[in-house]
Amino acid sequence: MASSQVVKVLIVDDDVVTRRIYRTMLLRFGFEITEAGDGKSAVSQFLIGNEYDLILMDNDMPGMNGVEATRTLRGMGILAKIIAITADANSRGALLDAGADEFLLKPVNFTMLTVILKAFNFLN
Amino acid sequence: MASAPLKAQLTDLLNSMFAMDFLDEQFKELQMLEEASGPGFLAEVVTLFCGDAERIISQLSVLINEPVVDFGKVDANVHQLKGSSSSVGAKRVALVCVKFRNVCQENDKEGCIAALHEIRHEFDELHKKFQTMLQLEQQIQVLDSK
Repeated sequence: MASSQVVKVLIVDDDVVTRRIYRTMLLRFGFEITEAGDGKSAVSQFLIGNEYDLILMDNDMPGMNGVEATRTLRGMGILAKIIAITADANSRGALLDAGADEFLLKPVNFTMLTVILKAFNFLN
Repeated sequence: MASAPLKAQLTDLLNSMFAMDFLDEQFKELQMLEEASGPGFLAEVVTLFCGDAERIISQLSVLINEPVVDFGKVDANVHQLKGSSSSVGAKRVALVCVKFRNVCQENDKEGCIAALHEIRHEFDELHKKFQTMLQLEQQIQVLDSK
């Protein structure tokens, strides 16, 4: 985990509405939230030295998509848990092969997300 | 309680929106999140969505009226609108977006024009209902706080 007791989450999605919804879902657990609007911005967060425990990664984004961003982050040695969240079921294989730990289909509901967060031991 | 008639009106409005497929289960998810997070979340998300949708629809109108249509850009915008409408549970808007992407992927300009018209109509209808919903919620809050 990042060097703090608070779980640090990076939400990566080009849709501001989706990011707001995830933010509200995760703030309920007291997580610390940062947002990025595309894959390149997400990678930049780590390049400037920020650390995260969890990444929620959309796939279909302008510029660098979720598969490319995930592959890049794993190539950088980033060990944060990555939950790929996308509307396209066909991209599941590519996202998991790129290094995502889990895959969810949009729209995400709170129960599904909670189950995964518990499985990753982010919730007491 | 003074707000009771307004609460009944709000319930009726939301029930009709679900019955007519303006909204789906995802909106109920957001309602549950608001119950846990406190008032204001739904209003913020709905307002964000409406502003974003309005922007995208305007952009689509510009793109489709270009002499040479960039169907790639049109598709990207429709994809974005589909994503945000699905996230808030705006079922009819999301469904029209699926139709729009299909004609877009066939490079069918006339089909895109028709689909844009339909999206405009569906969004305008939804927007009006959302505005009524938000007004009722505001009035209820004011009355309940007295």
